[in-house]
Amino acid sequence: MTALQTTSGLPARGGTGGAASTGAVPPATARPDGAARRRRRWRTQLTAWAFIAPVVIYLVVFYAYPLYRNIDLSLRAYTLRSFIDGTAPFVGLQNYLDVIQSSTFTPALINTAVFTGVSILFQFTIGLALAVFFFRNFRLAATLRALFLVPWLLPLLVSASVWAWMLNSESGVVNAVIEGIGLHQINWLTSPQWALVSVVIANIWIGIPFNLVILYSGLQGIPSDLYEAASLDGANGWQTFWRVTFPLLRPVSAITILLGLVYTLKVFDIIWIMTQGGPVNASTTFAIWSYRLGFGGESPQLSPAAAVGNLLIVVAFIFGLIYIRVQQRVVRS
Amino acid sequence: MNSTTARRLRVVGALVLSAALVGSLAACSTPSNKPKAGGTYTLWDPYPDRDANSTWAKAVDACATQLKITIKRTASNTGDTVKDLTTAASNLPDVALVDNPKVSTLADAGLLTTTKQNGFDVSSISKNILSAGEIDGKFYGVPTGANTLGLYYNPTVLSAAGVDIASVKDWASLTDALKKVVAAGKKGITFSAVGTEEGSFQFLPWFWGAKADLTKLDSSEADSALSLWTGWLKDGFAPNSVIQNTQGTSWTEFKTGDFGFAENGSWFKSDADTAGFKSIQIPAENGGAAPAPTGGEFMTIPVQKDTSRYATSAKIVGCLSKGDTAATALGYVAPTKAGADAQLAADPTLKFWITAVGDAKPRTADNLGIKYGKISEQLYTAIQAALSGSASPADALKTAQAAVK
Amino acid sequence: MRARRSWWKTAVGVVLTGAMLFPIYWMINVSLTQPNELRKDPPNFFPVNPTFDGYSKVVGEQLPYLGTSLLVGLGTVALTLALSAPAAFALAKLRPRGGTALNFILLIAQMIPAIIMAMGFYLIFNSWGVLNTIPGLILADSTIAVPFGVLIFTAFMSGIPHELISAATIDGANVWRTFRSIVLPISRNSVVTVSLFAFLWAWSDFIFASTLNRGDDLQPITIGIYRYIGNNTQDWNAIMATAVVASIPAAVLLVIAQRYVAAGVTAGAVKD
Repeated sequence: MTALQTTSGLPARGGTGGAASTGAVPPATARPDGAARRRRRWRTQLTAWAFIAPVVIYLVVFYAYPLYRNIDLSLRAYTLRSFIDGTAPFVGLQNYLDVIQSSTFTPALINTAVFTGVSILFQFTIGLALAVFFFRNFRLAATLRALFLVPWLLPLLVSASVWAWMLNSESGVVNAVIEGIGLHQINWLTSPQWALVSVVIANIWIGIPFNLVILYSGLQGIPSDLYEAASLDGANGWQTFWRVTFPLLRPVSAITILLGLVYTLKVFDIIWIMTQGGPVNASTTFAIWSYRLGFGGESPQLSPAAAVGNLLIVVAFIFGLIYIRVQQRVVRS
Repeated sequence: MNSTTARRLRVVGALVLSAALVGSLAACSTPSNKPKAGGTYTLWDPYPDRDANSTWAKAVDACATQLKITIKRTASNTGDTVKDLTTAASNLPDVALVDNPKVSTLADAGLLTTTKQNGFDVSSISKNILSAGEIDGKFYGVPTGANTLGLYYNPTVLSAAGVDIASVKDWASLTDALKKVVAAGKKGITFSAVGTEEGSFQFLPWFWGAKADLTKLDSSEADSALSLWTGWLKDGFAPNSVIQNTQGTSWTEFKTGDFGFAENGSWFKSDADTAGFKSIQIPAENGGAAPAPTGGEFMTIPVQKDTSRYATSAKIVGCLSKGDTAATALGYVAPTKAGADAQLAADPTLKFWITAVGDAKPRTADNLGIKYGKISEQLYTAIQAALSGSASPADALKTAQAAVK
Repeated sequence: MRARRSWWKTAVGVVLTGAMLFPIYWMINVSLTQPNELRKDPPNFFPVNPTFDGYSKVVGEQLPYLGTSLLVGLGTVALTLALSAPAAFALAKLRPRGGTALNFILLIAQMIPAIIMAMGFYLIFNSWGVLNTIPGLILADSTIAVPFGVLIFTAFMSGIPHELISAATIDGANVWRTFRSIVLPISRNSVVTVSLFAFLWAWSDFIFASTLNRGDDLQPITIGIYRYIGNNTQDWNAIMATAVVASIPAAVLLVIAQRYVAAGVTAGAVKD
């Protein structure tokens, strides 16, 4: 038990701070006196709060305040004028109703689900495959692994623009290759069928480095004696992966997928620069819709934009709850 | 863990912290957050590509020297103007340059002052350029200058295809010319139909050339205009990339020399002259020149808590709109007749564009004002739907008109 | 036999890396392409007849922006570590009441759209007077990395065996000393991981820089690129050249840091 808990990079309970035995700082001397122990525990609690106080203040100032403003924006009818004279009548959930009943709601919902689901599936799978591949040390492995992170360095404006260039219907290199093999050109960014596919591809490309780094680190946390034991038992590479590696990677995988979900739901720049959510909502996700309502369209509607933004937060909230539920079940078992 | 690693970690940590500390001290020592003291006025413009050495920046500096004040200029992407002004609503700049169709949106929000409030005299500004900033008889801004759209053509490509430019007088003859160019192995025409204001801007000469009205997007005239474009795409006279092209991208396509025609703006005049391209006015459906929309930014004076600042802000605007220095720096036609005459005298080849701007029509005309924003958004959505094949032109326009209501 | 296997893997690795980096190659290709061949159909696969105008512009104009980005990046790293490491230690080892809730809130906090954060920060920074300053931007950029930092540190600090910590406490060390002298050095790998993420996120931030730092004389590279994006024209040679030049120092940093990037507490640090 100790070996697994000290050497697995992430404990089974993930980031929930739930109960496990590697725990609180034990008292310096074992006193039979209960009052002294309680005093010590109280002192530990105070110290703990002192350690987390900066982050709590930070959260309240920098996250709670913008979140409060966003909720306020969505519960009132804000116009641009409201920013000058402060008048914004309270309309309750009307903005949310308008948003849900809008004709853009269903396409945006489907697109968001497809975009997020497909992106995460491929980012995770490819990231995991690459992590496993790079884990065996061969010549140049470390350098190549570092080079894989280079896409991350680029400003999103540039990455999205390069993909838009490569996928241009006439002057793009992808179509040049496709037409070179003899197929008809594909209108990647301008046809309703391919627009969403194009932004998904670009998003997968941008997300692979993140998955690669975290999963690779997770692999490093698996003790090598387990691999030796498996090979002694006669397991081949594939079986070793499925019986040993993948199960032990579960906590890391869970946090990677959850974070990937949170970040992908927010994705905006890539889609906006490549297709602006078009043509006609073919690649519009909630994040794009929110921006278009707010400042991307020609007449700012800030309250519906805030409502859409809050819907996204609610979706992430639900997935966060699912994650915690799953974690707690794993801990209890 | 050995002590060398610990020491190394400590050193790195110290370095990082001291770098951050030094950096922040350096930043604090430069007075970057200047309070708006007597002599400093802030000016926001959407020209980040014009740096401190550009002719525009020099024009601003010249006005500052003339008025014996300091003008602090910051530039940002034109698409972010409304967002930036809204965010800074408690702290607006003294002068803000705003793309002309956005002026009515900001004015309606109460962010801008009228000429009556800020004391600026608009009597010398050309009327057709000025009216984009007019709502209910009040003027909210003054143009830095104006630009408009025209039909550029590549004489080499046309002569190789046997097309005489004089024969291009209406839509039928233009489409005919495109057919000849494509038959000769080149590409027909490039323009910008992107799903932003640029798309609407480029569509308007054709829309107005069919005598369609912006308040009736589902009219048969509007349908024939949109069908012209969809027909070109279907027949291969215009490339599919127009659906994503900005005007800049479209111009880069034209510069490859593969295209016969390009619809683009007066700001590319000098580039066109260098490359040997020429221009004609965009033909209307049945002959004559189609009304083209005016473009260009407006200098506005946002509301301030200290109203005594308006007098000097108005002087800044007056200095920049007088003569032709600022307009020429931006590649626009000057907003006053005197300025335009000065430009013509300095460069007689500008005659075509000065005339074109004089004939042009503002987008928010016919008292559309703030309604233009919504109409434009539905219009470019309809264009995207029709060109990408999601809907027929008639259906797309019908949806658009219903959404505007 | 072993050497041959290793070379085969290297070859596959190079191919995979090449495929992944093809868009980067295309970026370099575009940066060197003549302006009137930028939209050629079909495009040139190699930059025949290259132009270096973009690069000369970048070297002449963008270095201050790169310097500012570096400063902001390092500052964000420092602030993120200072805030998230102690908090994560407390959550992982000291088990304060409300720790679970805090973890959950940190997860959700990352969901707030950046534009909402930026608009909120504008008001806060304006009243504090840190608008259009570098420290303000560092503060804003750290909000991208701090929740993630706490998450990662918590996860990995919980893996530290409590024998180490109790050993220190028996020797008479208080919690702070334990944290500083025992926990932090062991967490070296997660420190590097969090630093890497924080730096890269600050390096590529645009929304905070454009909303909160508009009036500053020092601006990061994401704003510097807009020098080449006018309201009607874009200079793609220069835009792509800026991206290439901006990537070089960060790529070097990556290759150096890659050795240390790991989420595990072990990797030689703690062995039974």
